Amino acid sequence: MSTESACLGYGLGLRSTYYQEILEQRPDVDWFEILSENYLVDGGKALYYLDAIGEHYPLVMHGVSLSIGGPHELDRDYLQRLKHLAARVKPAWISDHLCWSRGNAHQLHDLLPLPYTEESLQHVAARVRQVQEVLERPLVLENVSSYLRSADDQFSEWQFLAALSELSGCELLLDVNNVYVSSRNHAFDPWDFISGLPAQRIRQLHLAGHSDYGSYLIDTHDQPISDPVWQLYQRTLQHLGPVATLLERDDHYPPLSELLAELDKARVFAATALPAEPLCN
Amino acid sequence: MQLNDWQREIEAYLLGQEPTPNPALRASLLSSPALSAEDGLAIYHNAYRARLLEAVRDDYHAVHGWLGDEEFDALAGAYIEAHPSQHFSLRWLGARLAEFIEGYLVAEQSAPLSELARLEWAFTLAFDAPEGVPLSLQQMASLPAEDWPTLQVRLLPSVQWQSCRYNSVAIWRALKDDTAFPGSVLLEQTQVCLIWRQGLISRYRSLSHAEATALQGMAVDGWSFADLCAQLSELGDNAPLQAATWLRQWLSDGLLQRYGI
Repeated sequence: MSTESACLGYGLGLRSTYYQEILEQRPDVDWFEILSENYLVDGGKALYYLDAIGEHYPLVMHGVSLSIGGPHELDRDYLQRLKHLAARVKPAWISDHLCWSRGNAHQLHDLLPLPYTEESLQHVAARVRQVQEVLERPLVLENVSSYLRSADDQFSEWQFLAALSELSGCELLLDVNNVYVSSRNHAFDPWDFISGLPAQRIRQLHLAGHSDYGSYLIDTHDQPISDPVWQLYQRTLQHLGPVATLLERDDHYPPLSELLAELDKARVFAATALPAEPLCN
Repeated sequence: MQLNDWQREIEAYLLGQEPTPNPALRASLLSSPALSAEDGLAIYHNAYRARLLEAVRDDYHAVHGWLGDEEFDALAGAYIEAHPSQHFSLRWLGARLAEFIEGYLVAEQSAPLSELARLEWAFTLAFDAPEGVPLSLQQMASLPAEDWPTLQVRLLPSVQWQSCRYNSVAIWRALKDDTAFPGSVLLEQTQVCLIWRQGLISRYRSLSHAEATALQGMAVDGWSFADLCAQLSELGDNAPLQAATWLRQWLSDGLLQRYGI
């Protein structure tokens, strides 16, 4: 894990609901993560606030449309627009998900899991290398929450991510909530996942809330982080040391103060987990 | 199953109406004690529809308000099935709804509804269009007198020109404000409504027939200011004053950019 990522600190997902408050109040947030697709437009409010907020806070670009595991050709137009946006934003890094979101014929607009096979590994690794050539930087890939498991799997998801990182040079965005959601849905030990990843490749952590449907969980990003995820986060920090942490909320938006309080909770957990480590500034 | 075959199966499953998977797809998946393969697939099947439907609803509040939940969801569902998403951003999913409505409903119902849909879509186009370089009143004030006759202008990129045969603007306004629904009325004369973004604010304004003709002449057909005055010649000595009044209004509305310099 690099010093740069360690020092980015505690961030929030930038959402339009909070644009004006952020500019007026300049809250104690170390950085913001933008959803890249929201800014791949020609003009208007989103780009105005992006520039204005970017003057005061470091930004990271996080996408949902790369479809790195998809069956289609990589979308060169999308990549060029992403690169153009990166020239404007100067993000600390650019991330997307280990998934596919576009099929042979249509956009599917979901973060669909892959079979974790040797075939998938070679397919994704080759595409990651192409993306990295265009963007001229390592791609950071996030583990998704999933509700499907292929019968053809030859790797666990964490083995696949580790091998992909090794093969392609990509870095990892570890979403602690997604690990927890998938671990409940597919009955594995979340700690096997986290401890099985190459720690030095983990650029960033995500925290978010999920919905509990009894026997299974759905990653909804519409409520506070659950206690088991906080516990897993704390253990993750003890294992990794300080890592840039980001809180995501995508629905049922509370007052900004509630998200700031949740971010402070992450700082407190980090302080407890890392007593000997200096906290990020 | 090969990766590409598996992805083809999943794509067909998600786009299909039937939430039950075919045997080949089912056999390619594992269940866990917490979540069966069937339930896992159904989560994605539901999410696909819900996500796309929400995107269409977000862009068409007035059409939704007019039709109500049930009819709107039937329309949007049929639209999504006929036009699955081709763009990486859901921003563009609803681009062809107005056109789809024309074939979905009988003509007397579809004409006012598709016009309302076009009007709503125009707001989305204005919302994130390129900025352009607005020509300001101040710049005009400092324009040398000899440049006035040859001055040419164009509409800024955000300006959307909507010709309304029905009272779609009144319907849109009533549904937005949650006031009494005025009922659909065929207008005596087609009315032009402009929708545009001034700074960060979305704006709209209906134009009189005369003003629309003048603006079309100057900002679309390429008349110079002198041409505009000549077109208004029936106003006699008042022609330059009327032309200047409109031009001032268009500039203070933030509709124009300079052209041909």
